[in-house]
Amino acid sequence: MRRYLAYLWREFRGEILVLPGRTILFSATAILLILPLLYPHPYLLRILALTFIFAIFAASWDLLSGFVGQLNLGHAIFFGVAAYASAILNLRLGLPIIITIPVGAVAAVVAGLVVGIPCLRLKGQYLSLATLAFPVILMGLVFMFTEFTGGELGVSGLTRLAPTRLHEYYISAFVGVLSILAIWKITDSKLGLVLHAIREDEVAARASGINTSQYKLIAFCLSGLFAGIAGGLYAHFMRIAGPQSLSMLTSFQAIIWTIFGGIATIYGAVVGVFVLFPMLEVLRVAPEIRLLLYAAIIVLVLRFMPEGLAPWVVDRLERECPRCKEHNAFTRRECRVCGTPLRVPLQKTPVSGEHMSGGEGLSASQEGG
Amino acid sequence: MLGNLLVSTLMSASVYAMLAVGFSLTFGVARIINLAHTAFYMVASYIIFTATMKMGLPLYVGVVAAVSLVVLLAMVTYKVLVDPMREHETTVLILTIGVALVLQELMFLWFGGYFRSVPTAVEGFTTLLGVRVSYQYVLTICVLIVTLALVWLLLMKTRLGLAIRATAQDREIANVMGMSDSRTATITVGIAAALAAIAGAIVAPLFIIEPRIWLSPLTVVLAISVLGGLGSLKGSILGAVIIALSENLVVFLVPQGAFFKGAFSLLIMIVVLLIRPEGLYGVAFEEER
Amino acid sequence: MLLAVKNLTVCYDTAMLLNDVSLNVATGELVGVVGPNGAGKTTLLRTIAGLVRWERECKRGTKAGNITIDGEIHFDGQRIDKLPPDEIARRGLVLCPERRRPFRELSVLDNLRAGAYLVKDHRVFQQSLESVYTMFPILKARAGQVSGTLSGGEQQMLAIARALMTQPKLLCIDEPSTGLSPKIRAELFAKIREIAKSGLTVLLVEQDVSLAFSLSTRNYILSHSKVMAEGTSDELMKDEKVRQSYLGLAGPASA
Repeated sequence: MRRYLAYLWREFRGEILVLPGRTILFSATAILLILPLLYPHPYLLRILALTFIFAIFAASWDLLSGFVGQLNLGHAIFFGVAAYASAILNLRLGLPIIITIPVGAVAAVVAGLVVGIPCLRLKGQYLSLATLAFPVILMGLVFMFTEFTGGELGVSGLTRLAPTRLHEYYISAFVGVLSILAIWKITDSKLGLVLHAIREDEVAARASGINTSQYKLIAFCLSGLFAGIAGGLYAHFMRIAGPQSLSMLTSFQAIIWTIFGGIATIYGAVVGVFVLFPMLEVLRVAPEIRLLLYAAIIVLVLRFMPEGLAPWVVDRLERECPRCKEHNAFTRRECRVCGTPLRVPLQKTPVSGEHMSGGEGLSASQEGG
Repeated sequence: MLGNLLVSTLMSASVYAMLAVGFSLTFGVARIINLAHTAFYMVASYIIFTATMKMGLPLYVGVVAAVSLVVLLAMVTYKVLVDPMREHETTVLILTIGVALVLQELMFLWFGGYFRSVPTAVEGFTTLLGVRVSYQYVLTICVLIVTLALVWLLLMKTRLGLAIRATAQDREIANVMGMSDSRTATITVGIAAALAAIAGAIVAPLFIIEPRIWLSPLTVVLAISVLGGLGSLKGSILGAVIIALSENLVVFLVPQGAFFKGAFSLLIMIVVLLIRPEGLYGVAFEEER
Repeated sequence: MLLAVKNLTVCYDTAMLLNDVSLNVATGELVGVVGPNGAGKTTLLRTIAGLVRWERECKRGTKAGNITIDGEIHFDGQRIDKLPPDEIARRGLVLCPERRRPFRELSVLDNLRAGAYLVKDHRVFQQSLESVYTMFPILKARAGQVSGTLSGGEQQMLAIARALMTQPKLLCIDEPSTGLSPKIRAELFAKIREIAKSGLTVLLVEQDVSLAFSLSTRNYILSHSKVMAEGTSDELMKDEKVRQSYLGLAGPASA
């Protein structure tokens, strides 16, 4: 037991305390998990629970759009499909939460396929703008079949997520932490490597024998799965699934949070939600100019930190080793992995041209691009 | 009924074409997706409202004020916020959403969320193809078509138009030929804003003014420019006609179709993209080849 | 000196693409720059035309924007390395780029008009249009055609003609022979010789050493980001070390 604790401590020191960014994330998570026990204010719990739910949503967007580079402007479709599926199952069939939320998430996976398959052929801006269309189309359907979807009012009166606020908070927090860790692990795995390769150069990835279509669909489904979990949680937490969950602003929220926090990092998306969502609540002190201030702050921050908030902070707290690309705390003088000195200016090396041999090499044509 | 359909299609097609051409030009030259594009249209309507209803100025003064203020606003926003970080594609996306939200909230703050309207420029109506058409409609359609023709002339016949077309093809080489891409892009953003403002000004008497009126035209404009091919003018105009026609058909033929018309135009866009992944006349940027 | 490049060093992040390159071009010369793939020839021309600096300004703040440029470039007695590309074009230095890069969806005539963007005088425009049409009659025949549909050789002619329309003092041509058949190449190089004969200064980057040497008054050999040798074509062809290391020709000179 003592040895196991010592092992845990060593791992903790070696993996988390060694980098300021990780230390901050770890302590923030710890505080978020302990604080509500000491100060269970219902309003605070409500905000934090929603923040966790949206953190899953933002991280799932980052997985698809940031990490795989399939910039999805209609992410709300996954959220909305899951919310409506959970709500309808819960109300019409009286199924319990333990079934409705997973089924909602599966519905979102199906939505991932529905969106993903037509998008396989599309690239860049065409893909983004096409994805924007799907939630709007679904919203049209919601308004056409009002007796089933409740139209403008939505489906309301769902079972509560848990009997008390504190329980609700801990359910959202644990599901949130687990989902985000899962997304993080995915990006860190071999699958993540393939997905990253697709973002960097799809043609090259295909040429190396990767079935990019299949992997892109996997990405759409995984992203849909997590966004669906968030959507189901949200529906049960708010006890309503309405057309609001499909609106363009819901999609834009995920994008705003993620890019504000730092795209293609996962942790950036989470940081973005935890900074912006509570901030929007704090701004309720000035209801008249609430959204104005919110938008202005985002615009100003991004104007000066174009890569997002979290990478900006990390850049100041950590330094990348020029040789092995491992991150190091800014206080260190040499790399913790390979011992390369970090403070000396970078050595610039001439690139080597191809040596030419034989007379034919001379007139070999070089077709660019 | 056919006449009704034709008139209202012509009307929405010309409004959409004005907005989509501006959006497409901005995309082609400045290489940004400007999600605040239709917010400029909304701001222009409010300026007209202020000038005519609050200050009692004649309508044409309102139109001139709206166009010049909106162009100034767009160019300054572009220079200060967007131009320094054009290469951060996703950040620019959020910046433009942010700008649109700021404008929307400012309008809420100054004018409240009430539905406003402005007086028409001309009274009366005429009968065309057996349909009663108000003179305001006729005037609006004429102004929009003339403006589009002027833009076409500007692009095809002038030095500036040449610079815009060349920059939309290949920024680097346009620079090498002495066309400053940053200057061209700023001017293009100005032209696009002017088109949006004229559209906003001229249709203001026909529609209700409200701070959120930028959202639904935004989806339509995106659908049109994707359908026609991003960065292509021909595509934008053709796309506007296709979308306007199909929207009006849905409203005329399907009961409760009005709820579905936005969704229907996007459905058409997706169908076109399935057949042609780069729209009808997609443009490939030379430096990205 | 019309163009003087002094100790030019260009790094993209930690990769050094040009290492302390110095080069001079006097008025009326045709200077060739030859060397293997990846030697830095295109980067050299792009830096001179101001495009590398432009790229750095565009991508400032991103990882791709970590470009450093050291050294000086003087053109026509003035320092130009801090100027934007359009300003450099205004001073009379024009680049005819690698891969030709016509404005693909513009007609041939519009491409030529775009070249003459800085020429405000309509008479001058008409004259230079006449002269490029006489030099490349095929362009006149295809004036209304969309330039993306031209053949490779025609596109290259268009690119040179477009560059000539700017009324340059110095014409920098980057790899004109790429992807062309030997017959078209010979035709094209005859035109370049004609241009140089007419008194225009030309800086020609070329992979095909024999073609470049057949035209040039003086040459630089660029390899591994550095200037390795300099001299007239005959001098370089006779230099045993140069022949073996950079020109890939074994054995003693026969010329």
